Amino acid sequence: MSTPETSSRPPNDNPILWVAKPLLTAAKQFRKSLFRPSTIVYPFERLEDPKFREEVAVAAGKPIGIGAVWDNYRGVHALNIDTCISCNLCAFSCPDLCIDMVNVAGGDPKHPKKCPEIDYGKCSYCGFCSDACPEGCLTMTTRYELSVTKRADMVFSPERLYQVYEQKLPMNPIRLERPENEDQILLDPPVCIGCNACARDCPTKCITMLDIVKPTAAPGEKMPKRIWKEPVINDSDCVRCGTCISVCPKECLFWGTRK
Amino acid sequence: MSEMWINMGPQHPMTHGLWNLRVKIDGEIVVDVDAEMGYLHRGIEKISEDRHYNEVITLMDRCCYVAGMAWEHLYILAAEEALHVTVPERALYIRVMSEEFQRVASHLMWYAAFVQDIGLLTPFLYGMRDRDLILDLFQSYTGGRMTYEYMRVGGVRNDMPPGFTDRARKLCTWLIDRFKEYDTLCLASTIFHKRCDNIGVLKAAACRKHGVTGPMLRSAGVKADIRKDRPYAAYDRVEFDVPVQQDADVTARYLIRMEEMRQSIRIIRQTLDWLDAHPGPVIAPQLPRWLGAPYAPIGNEGYLLKRNYPHGLGFSAIEEPHGEALAYLVNDGGEHPYRVKFKSPVFANISAVREYVVGYHVADIPPIMGSVDICVGEVDR
Repeated sequence: MSTPETSSRPPNDNPILWVAKPLLTAAKQFRKSLFRPSTIVYPFERLEDPKFREEVAVAAGKPIGIGAVWDNYRGVHALNIDTCISCNLCAFSCPDLCIDMVNVAGGDPKHPKKCPEIDYGKCSYCGFCSDACPEGCLTMTTRYELSVTKRADMVFSPERLYQVYEQKLPMNPIRLERPENEDQILLDPPVCIGCNACARDCPTKCITMLDIVKPTAAPGEKMPKRIWKEPVINDSDCVRCGTCISVCPKECLFWGTRK
Repeated sequence: MSEMWINMGPQHPMTHGLWNLRVKIDGEIVVDVDAEMGYLHRGIEKISEDRHYNEVITLMDRCCYVAGMAWEHLYILAAEEALHVTVPERALYIRVMSEEFQRVASHLMWYAAFVQDIGLLTPFLYGMRDRDLILDLFQSYTGGRMTYEYMRVGGVRNDMPPGFTDRARKLCTWLIDRFKEYDTLCLASTIFHKRCDNIGVLKAAACRKHGVTGPMLRSAGVKADIRKDRPYAAYDRVEFDVPVQQDADVTARYLIRMEEMRQSIRIIRQTLDWLDAHPGPVIAPQLPRWLGAPYAPIGNEGYLLKRNYPHGLGFSAIEEPHGEALAYLVNDGGEHPYRVKFKSPVFANISAVREYVVGYHVADIPPIMGSVDICVGEVDR
């Protein structure tokens, strides 16, 4: 069993230097801090204040602040309800399942418009939802103060997210590029029953139901009972949200590359 | 009958996290120790099996709250090997730069906590101040200060904002000057030496026996660094040295980490020069759809996908700020990983606690355990 030994490294010869050298360094820093404080007085000064927004020379001046790139911060979401197409991609992409699609005013009463409602009690601010948003209507702002006294206040309804949008806070300018080589939605024609569910629920209305030729039944053969229509998908308008795949009752739509 | 067991933890300033060091003492001398871990278990490996490949990244940041970027890198390397994804070269360099900045930030955090353990409050403030500058830099291109969610399978989320490399170079200059101050505050002080010299000795043979890695192993005279021995990302294209010390005590670990920070700055400067000279894409052009930006439901294709997409195994090992971290990932063709397994270096380092604490005084325990650089988030996951 080893026991503590005396130091093998030679200590400073001059005992005054033991204390004096570190103290001198600390004193130098203290003198600097009188003129160049390293902190900001938070509730009264904020990093998003204009005076901190210019490019701050890190080594030359105050080592605080990151200037204009503060905008990249991932804070509370802002939702522009007007451009939201209810594609559900934000809710699908959320790792914490904190996004619910709830009805908002306006739109067809039979199929009301749905917009994301975010529970900030669960949200981890990962930004996947704003990455996934094809219209750029759900973005993350620099707002970070979220203290509430009730749990129910943590749930931000679409209207409340729209209020954040109306404050015109700086939005994260760096957006994820959507890949160019996206798959398309393909149809398995013999399975389709022409029920119109995909065209009805498509958020971008890029699916149109076109008539197809009703085949003549051979004698003795029974014709399948269906509507003689088939969805045709406009790939340039499609945002690849997969809603049609989810609602298809016969599972005849699938992902693939169109030849 | 003067021996007794005492609990140092789970809520003790020495522990730096939720774990318990049970110490058997005879007067002031430590006779036996027993480490209890598991207070912070969150089941991250199991949760990963139910998430898309990119969504696991959100968990990796929570694995180690001071070295999130290193753990993202670890997972991403394993996932890319399992999914057969090739990464553009620029993304590799950005990852190397991010990991090295994270190493400096982690070591600064360690420095701040360690000197506070031995009673120096002034260096603590300096360490935290300088770490914050690195967090600011991370925020400028990832959007997060501690939970970055920056790396993606096939690359990284976004390219650097304009003017980033200049800011990073200024920060490097700033940090290099500060390292000198740290040494003045600690090494020039005999009080520091009296508290740290020749305690917590863990020789190379004991390190090998317990699987201890990282700065603790290098302080025992073993030149082992995954960045050199098994280069990943772009580490074979940058120049750096692996610092080695022979004394295997607390001061040696301090010196190792200080030199590692300087070497990290050296690597960062090389990567910044490369990034300036080579613009290009940062994410792979050909990715399976469920790894791309829209995480759309996969529909009835799910089981077809399992048949069609090539299966794979992924293994990665990186030199994390605390030591060697390993990840193993099984891809069975689906949209979620079938199995994810991580090996944390700190778990092995704490497990060897009996070898380097027994025999010293109770007052030596805080500096010794401080020099191990404990992050319980990655021990328990």
